[in-house]
Amino acid sequence: MGAQIAADYAGREPVLVTVLKGAFIFLADLSRSIPIAHELDFVVLAAYDGALGGQTKIRLIKDLDLSITGRDVLIVENVIDTGLTLHYLVKTFALRRPREIAACTLLDRPYRRLVDDLPLRYVGFTVPDDFFVGYGFDLEGRFRGLPDMRIVH
Amino acid sequence: MASETPGLQASSSADETHFANPAEVECAKILDFYGLQWKYEPRSFVLETDEEGRVIEAFTPDFYLPEQDLYLEVTVMKQSLVTRKNRKIRKLREKYPEIKIKLFTRRDFDRLAHKYKLNLAS
Repeated sequence: MGAQIAADYAGREPVLVTVLKGAFIFLADLSRSIPIAHELDFVVLAAYDGALGGQTKIRLIKDLDLSITGRDVLIVENVIDTGLTLHYLVKTFALRRPREIAACTLLDRPYRRLVDDLPLRYVGFTVPDDFFVGYGFDLEGRFRGLPDMRIVH
Repeated sequence: MASETPGLQASSSADETHFANPAEVECAKILDFYGLQWKYEPRSFVLETDEEGRVIEAFTPDFYLPEQDLYLEVTVMKQSLVTRKNRKIRKLREKYPEIKIKLFTRRDFDRLAHKYKLNLAS
């Protein structure tokens, strides 16, 4: 995937944007496999607690540090299921007039998609509907550091 | 033939709509959370009629997402118990191949709950 991204973005210096925390290990490996100049940035999304009468609209609680106006943005996800998060990010970043927005994901579950018009350009693996831990995937905040992905039964 | 039911709710706010069960409320809140427009039960689809043309089976999906042109049926039942809904969805797809519909299941709720620490109805 890194070689393909490098070929596609040659001479363009993309910004790789990741939503913390799940994709940070994948991002680290992906970044090191892309042999062209690129920058990294991170966002954090507010957790939903509408059922408790609190936060009822998705928003960034940590925004990008970089300006993406006129830049090529590549959103890096660990997994895309419904596509709701990616849809929100694309809409939000598009307001800042980047040159282009695309996305890549380590894992994809296209059969769970609720939003189809996503700029998903790179997919590592299309996976069955299993629950993974390790390699950034957590269970109650644990197991992110496992070097491999494992299925929880 | 599909029939419109314009008298039903066509809202985009979970607080303004009368839902049939807590799972639909949570689904509406999730859609609101992500800023997706939705309508609640805006259309009924006739699945089967008798020889006189009387409706003997119809299906009203829970939500319609206009931006996605997608109908959504919500269930938080166990996977093993969703057969009836799956059968209706299969029938709808056969009769209305142009209609996009998906089942939003317990597992989808769990995934979103895990990812963003949602507090969802069981």
